[in-house]
Amino acid sequence: MLAGIARRVGRRLLASIPALLGVVVVTFILMRVLPGDPATFFASGPSAGQAEIEELRRTMGLDKPIPVQLVRYLGEIAQGNFGRSMTTGQPVVLDIKRRLPASLELTCVALLIALVFSLPLGVFAALRQGSVIDHAVRLLCTLGVCVPTFVSGLLLIYAFYYLLGWAPDPTARIDIFASPPPDITGFYLIDFAVTGDWDGWWAAFRQLMLPAFTMALFVLAPLARMTRASMLAVLGSDFIRTAHAMGLSRLRIIVAYALRNALLPVITITGIVFSTMLGANVLVEKVFSWPGVASYALDALLASDYAPVQAFVLLMASIFVLVNVTIDVLYGIADPRVSVA
Amino acid sequence: MKRRVLLQSAAGAALLAGGGMPAMAQSRAETLRYVTGATINTLDTTMFGATRESFGLSMNVYDRLFRFGRKKVADYWVFDPDKIEGELAKSYSISPDNKVITITLRDDATWQDGSPVTAEDVKWSLDRAVSAKSLAAPQFTTGSLTSVDQFKIVDPKTLTVTLEKPDRLALANLCVCYAIMVNSKLAKQNATGEDPWAQEWMKTNTAASGAYIVESHKAGESTVLRRNDKWAGAPGGTLPFFRRIIIQTVPEPATRANLVERGDADLSIDLAAADLPTIEKSAKAKLVSMPQTNGFTHVSMNTQAAPFDNPKVRKAVAAALSYDDMFKAAIFERGRKLYDGTWTTTPPDASFPQPIPNKADPALAKKLLAEAGFPNGFSTTFAFNVGAAATAEPVAALLKESLGKVGIQVEIQKKPDAEFNTLASERKMPFFMDGATAWLPYTYYFFYLYFTREQRWNFSSFKSTKMEELTLDARYQTDKAKYDDDCLKMIEIFNAETPLIMLWQPNHDAAMAKSVDGYTYQFYRQADFRDLKRV
Repeated sequence: MLAGIARRVGRRLLASIPALLGVVVVTFILMRVLPGDPATFFASGPSAGQAEIEELRRTMGLDKPIPVQLVRYLGEIAQGNFGRSMTTGQPVVLDIKRRLPASLELTCVALLIALVFSLPLGVFAALRQGSVIDHAVRLLCTLGVCVPTFVSGLLLIYAFYYLLGWAPDPTARIDIFASPPPDITGFYLIDFAVTGDWDGWWAAFRQLMLPAFTMALFVLAPLARMTRASMLAVLGSDFIRTAHAMGLSRLRIIVAYALRNALLPVITITGIVFSTMLGANVLVEKVFSWPGVASYALDALLASDYAPVQAFVLLMASIFVLVNVTIDVLYGIADPRVSVA
Repeated sequence: MKRRVLLQSAAGAALLAGGGMPAMAQSRAETLRYVTGATINTLDTTMFGATRESFGLSMNVYDRLFRFGRKKVADYWVFDPDKIEGELAKSYSISPDNKVITITLRDDATWQDGSPVTAEDVKWSLDRAVSAKSLAAPQFTTGSLTSVDQFKIVDPKTLTVTLEKPDRLALANLCVCYAIMVNSKLAKQNATGEDPWAQEWMKTNTAASGAYIVESHKAGESTVLRRNDKWAGAPGGTLPFFRRIIIQTVPEPATRANLVERGDADLSIDLAAADLPTIEKSAKAKLVSMPQTNGFTHVSMNTQAAPFDNPKVRKAVAAALSYDDMFKAAIFERGRKLYDGTWTTTPPDASFPQPIPNKADPALAKKLLAEAGFPNGFSTTFAFNVGAAATAEPVAALLKESLGKVGIQVEIQKKPDAEFNTLASERKMPFFMDGATAWLPYTYYFFYLYFTREQRWNFSSFKSTKMEELTLDARYQTDKAKYDDDCLKMIEIFNAETPLIMLWQPNHDAAMAKSVDGYTYQFYRQADFRDLKRV
């Protein structure tokens, strides 16, 4: 079975290379077709004239025809050189290396919170179909999905930081007066835990809670609704009736038999939700000054800063591929029949 | 609480002396937390694409030969371009023919690495400014500083700057953000054959002598500064109050406002206009507001293309706008009006920007339009950039309404910043709104920069031989009365031709903790930490 999984993973990764290449080319061309000239934008200092714009265009390689630029760009990314961001002044690889763990940590914790809440809520709603609980869950989900994250984020800040003062100030990953942990994985919670600095861990954890809940609230709906629907389908099937007839305990039927079988579509949706969250959490990152990749890419896009946007899109595409492969593997664990195919 | 002890590196002495909680409170008091929506993208301000936030950092980290003094306007401090003081320079003298400036350096000045500042370093820095491909070179040409031959070392503490003609802005150009003085020994160690001026290295490293030392710099997140206790340029020998500065990027304006209001942050200068009244009422924060004396918000028309190539059409637009409504709706009257001037053809003084005699007068607008051959008006587009939407959107809406009344149909276009800049630079917008600030707010410089030559900052593509002649004469004019006369004529031409319509000088609003004092409005519109103190 393991060998089968490995083969399938390898095949999937190989098959994704043309897609990634396509993403690179399309982004590259799209950025250049969009109105807005980065050289003009960045040379807009006082007293900068046409000569400076031309000079900047030359150093950025924008004076060459687009096909030449594309070939040069592909050659450079093959060597791991993604160019330099004009917005931060740093090489893009360095920026992303520092910022990706921040986004991943936030997204993972938010997803965890969302799963911890949505699975039981979905299950209860399915078990008590049409009851008050079911409607309450539906209301919560609707609210979560209707309220945009920047609104819920600002509301949470207003309540927990501004009015109650429970939360630390909503800026960055850790109190600005404290020092970050040594850079081991880039995940603050892990790095603090590894170094045994529990004060630091607690500080980073507190900082993480508001943005994570803001994001979790937003993805609660698809997860809970999918769990509910899937549970309903499974609960109505023959083997559950048989299990009841055999006199198995209610808990065992629901968790071991019904939930496990209901998980397959939930895993799929979790994968999609995860990828979406990583790219779409730009508003949360902005509201909480979270130094992540999404807000980085947005700033770059507004400034027509090509290199970071291209690298970001490629990164997101790669993560999408990886997430899909992971989901495939998880399928195999949830339902062994899948890996045979 | 333990983690807050990290402040000790700056306030170590205080901690040792006081010990325990009071000392820690002390260290917070001596730390200034500044929150901003922007990013410092380079430690070398002269780099192409340097953000305004980088200019601010540079002023605190690097010294220049000279700096502008400051003066009190009403209750607040504003920079004074007519008072030039030595920073790294101890003194200077100008030859009788106004062509040779002799500069003597401070004896005790050292670089942040401890080595002494020499005339050789200064020459290298000036050479760098005029030779390296950077934003400094075009700026320096406005002061007739163009060639390395102009800078000569006399002795280790003295050098001369020689001008071909007595350019009135030579000295002022040595005060601007780009005129950084660099530790040449350190920079040269990091220069390469391809990069003789160490531009690559200086993007992320400093070789400075200024009031603050960069302790850490994470672009887009935070930058931490430590006071340079050996700073020689301190005015009157008094070091800046704050021992430590934390500059933090907080993109969301509402969050910045919350932070200042709750007293968690000490200073922010880019809050949303809607949050300002709350700050004014707040118990822990206060607002320091003053008009941006060197700036103007304007509505520009492309004077090289129909219909705006006709001065009568431009005058008609200027007479049609409902200025007071715009002033109220866009900036809540927080600024200085640049309309409603009380003169007709000759301005009362040679200062600029000053109120221009434009008033809402729809009847006059209609009459002018008819004279210009557009009795039924015409259609055009009006553009502004997304970044300025908070003020530009109300202006655009009111403009559309008031021009509609005189027959001019306006379609509003909202453009992303990069696209807007490109269109402005390529002169593709007939009619748009923008803002501008001049670093060197002398009347001649305003007209030279914004109303002559084919270049990015000539917003309305204005062409006037008379204006070119006047600016050229004013530039090298050593007779004050003749210079003032030139300036008056420039303002007259501006009013008669109306290449663009001045709206107002918006306020510079700095929100800060009640305890912070001494804030100065600077020409580069950033906080100067060196003047600030906690009282």
